[in-house]
Amino acid sequence: MEPVSTQHRPHKHLRTDAIPTDPLKPKIVLVGNPNVGKSVVFNYLSGLYVDVSNFPGTTVEVSKASYLGYEVFDTPGIYGVSSFNDEERVARDIILNGDVIINIVDAVHLERDLFLTQQLIDMGKRVGVVVNMMDEARRQRISVDLELLEKELGVPVIGTVAIKRKGLEEVHELIVRASEGIQNRALHAELHRMLSTVGSQGEALLVLEGDAIVADRHGIPPADISRREELYIDRRNRVNRILQRTVSDMETGKRLSAMLGRIAVSPLFGFPLLAVILYGVYLFVGVFVAQDVVEITEGRIGKGIVEYHIKSWVARNAATTVSIDVLDAEGDVETSRDFRFPDGTKADPGQWQDLREFRDGHDIEFGFTYDNPWLVLFFGEFGAVTMTLTYLVFLLLPLVLGFYFALSVLEDSGYLPRLATLVDRALRVIGLNGRAVIPLILGFGCVTMATITTRLLGAQREKTIATTILQLAIPCSAQLGVIAALLATAGPQATLIYSAVIFSFLVAVGTIMNRSLPGKISPLLIDLPHMRLPQLNNVTKKTLYKTYFFMKEASPWFFIGALVVSILQVTGSLVRIMGALEPLLVGWLQLPREAATAFVMGLVRRDFGAAGMFHLDLSAFQTVAALVTLTLFVPCVASLMVMLKERGVREGMVIWIGSLILALTVGGLVSQILI
Amino acid sequence: MQLSTIRKGMRVRIEQLPQGEMRSQFIRIGLMEGVTVSCLEKLPGGTIVLGLHHQEVALSDELASAILISRL
Repeated sequence: MEPVSTQHRPHKHLRTDAIPTDPLKPKIVLVGNPNVGKSVVFNYLSGLYVDVSNFPGTTVEVSKASYLGYEVFDTPGIYGVSSFNDEERVARDIILNGDVIINIVDAVHLERDLFLTQQLIDMGKRVGVVVNMMDEARRQRISVDLELLEKELGVPVIGTVAIKRKGLEEVHELIVRASEGIQNRALHAELHRMLSTVGSQGEALLVLEGDAIVADRHGIPPADISRREELYIDRRNRVNRILQRTVSDMETGKRLSAMLGRIAVSPLFGFPLLAVILYGVYLFVGVFVAQDVVEITEGRIGKGIVEYHIKSWVARNAATTVSIDVLDAEGDVETSRDFRFPDGTKADPGQWQDLREFRDGHDIEFGFTYDNPWLVLFFGEFGAVTMTLTYLVFLLLPLVLGFYFALSVLEDSGYLPRLATLVDRALRVIGLNGRAVIPLILGFGCVTMATITTRLLGAQREKTIATTILQLAIPCSAQLGVIAALLATAGPQATLIYSAVIFSFLVAVGTIMNRSLPGKISPLLIDLPHMRLPQLNNVTKKTLYKTYFFMKEASPWFFIGALVVSILQVTGSLVRIMGALEPLLVGWLQLPREAATAFVMGLVRRDFGAAGMFHLDLSAFQTVAALVTLTLFVPCVASLMVMLKERGVREGMVIWIGSLILALTVGGLVSQILI
Repeated sequence: MQLSTIRKGMRVRIEQLPQGEMRSQFIRIGLMEGVTVSCLEKLPGGTIVLGLHHQEVALSDELASAILISRL
């Protein structure tokens, strides 16, 4: 196959060079509005190996893959090429640098999507158009004349049902046939006159459309905003004329998916439907995965088998004390015994045999205490290796898989934009846009994961507010389980007070931040895709990708966090910190001094903190005060690390220290009032 | 009258869009002066779901109050 190239090659290097690309391979760029099925086309072309990276200087993810002799780029969903937000800026640069643009459009939403198509054509790019969701159009009795559309646009057009892989085999031919389309003559001539100062026709167009960043790269001022409007209106009218000739629709009847889509945003049924969906997600992730699956993976496999074997393997040649608690049917300690191996277990097979006889056939809890501090650091109670392994692979992995699966199902069904619409008004009270509902819900799964997801919010201001609320007031699933158990013991009154305090605190923090941070909430203008039944293979692929990239990104932080706590323990700092906390706990929060352990452990894993409360025999009100403090208290080390990375060290530290102070203040006030 | 005063089921014509950056975004999705839209849903708090040919577009009351319409 012949390599393809644009006729008007940019003479200056674009910033896309910052993503590693192969200069010898022509670049195919997939472009489309959100929710048009771009990812399915990308998955079809990419095969198994995909490289996802953050676009330099932004948190927008760009996927890259190899297809035959080409490099294929997937871009974020956009409504047009311009610089209104991070996604658009990223997509713009990749498009400018692309050789072939494959524009995916939604057959039902051609009116919206062809604006982008025509803009790509006006940029002088080689374009091929995939009209996707032809089945949905047929069902809605919309007929699209693809041949005529091809003639009107002047670029090749194919029709597909991507999700069912229908028509995708034609994409290859489309790439080869992609061509420059029909452009407004006067505009084309004007753009070409600009080529001596601006690298390419595409960049020239963006300069005329007032793109300050592109103009700045060539050291010229952008055209006035009125010029953009003129071009936009002209393009819009041209698209409308093309639509009149190529699309005809017979009156639509009420269909199930349209009805469901309407119900999802209706004031009467929308909220009950949301409650049902959230309850379903809770049953799946919160009960099935977080309890049943994790019980097996973390308890039996992670701790019982993997950790036990690693620790006893380390103990073979190292001085170790092994303590075993045998548990009865209720999980209480029945008998305990310590086994001392001054020269490692290998040197004393007799006693090792005793140990095995003592533990075999019982439910046990075990602890390996090594004499060598380095071994404690990596394999001890909070050993960076053993704890990270159990935590990441056997606790977090199933949870993250479960959450991303649920999220992908909701995403592919077209429900998420409706959810954002439904809650937009309520979230604006706390300074957020409807889209923020997704990270907030994810926070109940894993705050670390949710903190990464705040990237999808448009403005920095919203990212800051959402991150703060997540780190402060949203308990993650690991912690929720323990909190629920403790509150069940403390009674309904305690539960009510706890929930009321946390909820009003969340609203108060959001409101105050909304009032005090500069700027204002970005207004909601969102397009609602039609609802469809998600396809299992696409959902699975998405879930696996997202999980893989999350684990890849977050794992080192969990390891570092565990290492820090382990060092604190080995050096004795942990005891000193607890000692320093004691007066505050006893005097201000009115909790027993042993609560200090629980609080410091909360740093490692939030659920450790809450779990430590079980043994303290707290009164109902003490439980409330302790749980309020713990919930608001600093998040786990991993989420702190991720926050520092996402929000920067300064802002991250302000949020972190702020949450420490607020947690102790609010928890103490609750305690002083109640007790 | 302002788009924010629309009620569910009403069909109206867009008379005037606000100036500035949002204007370009409205034009891109096809919400232009002279276009007919219908109100599919109005949520408590004022968020509006508009039917624009085959599209459904949701916008906050704040945006809606900056758009002028006339009843059909």
